[in-house]
Amino acid sequence: MSLGSWLELIASGLITGGVYALVALGLNLQYGLMRILNIAHGEFLMVGAFLTWQAQTTLGISPLLMLPVTFGALMGLGLVIHRVVFRRLTRTSPNLDVFEARGLMVAFGLMFLVQNFAQMIWGGDLRGYDYLTDPVAFGGAQFAGNKLLLFVLALAFSAALIVVLRKTLYGKGVRALMQSPTGAQLVGIDTERLHPLMFGIGLGLSGVAGCLLSMTYTISPGMGEPYTVTALIVITLGGFGSMGGALAGGLALGVIEALGMHFTNPSLKALLSYGIFVAVLLWRPNGLFNKR
Amino acid sequence: MKRDLLVLFGLAGWALALPHYGSEFAVSMALTCLMYAALSSSWGLFCGTTRYLSLATSAFFGIGAYTSALWLETTGWWGAIALGAAMGALVAVVMGAAVLHLRGTYFAVLTFGMTELIRHAITYWEKQVTGTVGRVLTVVPERDTVYLTMLGLAVAAVLASIVVRRSRFGLAMAGIGSDEQRAQTLGVNTRLVKIGGFAMTAAFAGAVGAAMSVRWTYIDPHTVFNPFIGFQTVLIALIGGAATLWGPLIAAVVFSLLAETLRLQAPHVYMMALGALLILSVLYLPGGLASVRRATFGQWRDDTRAWWRGLVSPAAKKKATA
Repeated sequence: MSLGSWLELIASGLITGGVYALVALGLNLQYGLMRILNIAHGEFLMVGAFLTWQAQTTLGISPLLMLPVTFGALMGLGLVIHRVVFRRLTRTSPNLDVFEARGLMVAFGLMFLVQNFAQMIWGGDLRGYDYLTDPVAFGGAQFAGNKLLLFVLALAFSAALIVVLRKTLYGKGVRALMQSPTGAQLVGIDTERLHPLMFGIGLGLSGVAGCLLSMTYTISPGMGEPYTVTALIVITLGGFGSMGGALAGGLALGVIEALGMHFTNPSLKALLSYGIFVAVLLWRPNGLFNKR
Repeated sequence: MKRDLLVLFGLAGWALALPHYGSEFAVSMALTCLMYAALSSSWGLFCGTTRYLSLATSAFFGIGAYTSALWLETTGWWGAIALGAAMGALVAVVMGAAVLHLRGTYFAVLTFGMTELIRHAITYWEKQVTGTVGRVLTVVPERDTVYLTMLGLAVAAVLASIVVRRSRFGLAMAGIGSDEQRAQTLGVNTRLVKIGGFAMTAAFAGAVGAAMSVRWTYIDPHTVFNPFIGFQTVLIALIGGAATLWGPLIAAVVFSLLAETLRLQAPHVYMMALGALLILSVLYLPGGLASVRRATFGQWRDDTRAWWRGLVSPAAKKKATA
């Protein structure tokens, strides 16, 4: 294999990995902060993708303009869902274990609701549109322009989230809540405000990921589930609640998949990712990068 | 316990008579009903009492179905069912030994991951090694045989729940459910109990899978390892009340009726109803359908009133000051 094709292989792995990381970050925010394992996360990605597709094909709006719109729309949806469902759930659950199990079940319910709602409105067909499809040469390898854009934007959003969590007062509050919920409340961090906000931001990020994906790939109502599973794999790789871990895990998984598929055979892809998933959970249940 | 046995006896007798006067459609519906009754009762038997949320039902179901498809001709009907149950239990023992030390979400996610791993492994094996996409069952027993077997399995599942509840084994499982460390301190071998319970659930799921495979006559990994079978089992058990005896059975009946009537005309509406029901039942009926008492309605009424007052009073106050 020449250097160019190696570069192409690893770069295509990184491009998929960027999206994985973005989806995983949102899921990780929800799980790490509130212990809500949102199985329906990928469905909201699908909603974001379909919103972008609809706006692009019927109104001719540029997908780039739709980025903030999908973020806002899904964040609003997230606030509503948190208000209607999870607030009551937090109040009525006797302890965190029970809350986690119930939250998982509610998320399954949301998954059924959203997925079938989308199928009813948009039908089950594959959809897509052309956007920035011209190839760009890059160090002896060629990429479609939209894929590079996807990668850059996915990384930018991930980095932005991590910086916000590290530098701002809100971010400090979130990290404090992750470390010790009771302690954080004792020093006056407002859970009632932060929880809905972070749930909304998590959904908003998945909407952004969907918007980005719709630029390069065809979309369908069933597209969300594989991304949910991948996001779960990524956060187990990186450790539940660890943001840097999710970013590194996402990129790593993308590259592993690309290499594995190139050297073995594409139908092994699912087997490979589930194999990694189960192996990591059994071997290092606290995440690969966790020193504990 | 005596009352439970009597109720079970009555229900079984009624179900036994159904094929003689019911239409083809009614029998097929009853079969689905019995399948989910057996699956969710046996799921509740282990997962409801110990609160280990297993999503691996479809793995055992699929393994049972495949076993029956492969060996039905050599072992005969009862042999295939027994073999399916044994294979399910065997896989559960191996899986359980690996994952049962993890609790809560980790356990749920891992069982789901392993189910998908098994499904993809078998798909890959079929494609690459044997070069097939599925199995066709040529020798199929009569409809009534399948129905009676499924009825037997459903009754056995409920009966097992009744009996296990009263045994030391059942008490040990309930102890694990309320506080695992305390149960361990009191001398319960939690590891063995958990693996035993998990294998028992899996044996039922395997047997049900083995019996159902002949209904379809053609099976492939995508149908029999469908994660939806596992989800629906869990949903039924939870909506009915996983820790109760009759909850899963009641919910199985309700769901099969809902599924058969709605799924053909409006599949999306059915799935959305399923999702909405699940969310509502988790929010407002955490103990499941079987926990509904007269007081529950009173509680709902008070909640609604309080909510309404909260909604109305700020507006009323504003008016008064203005």
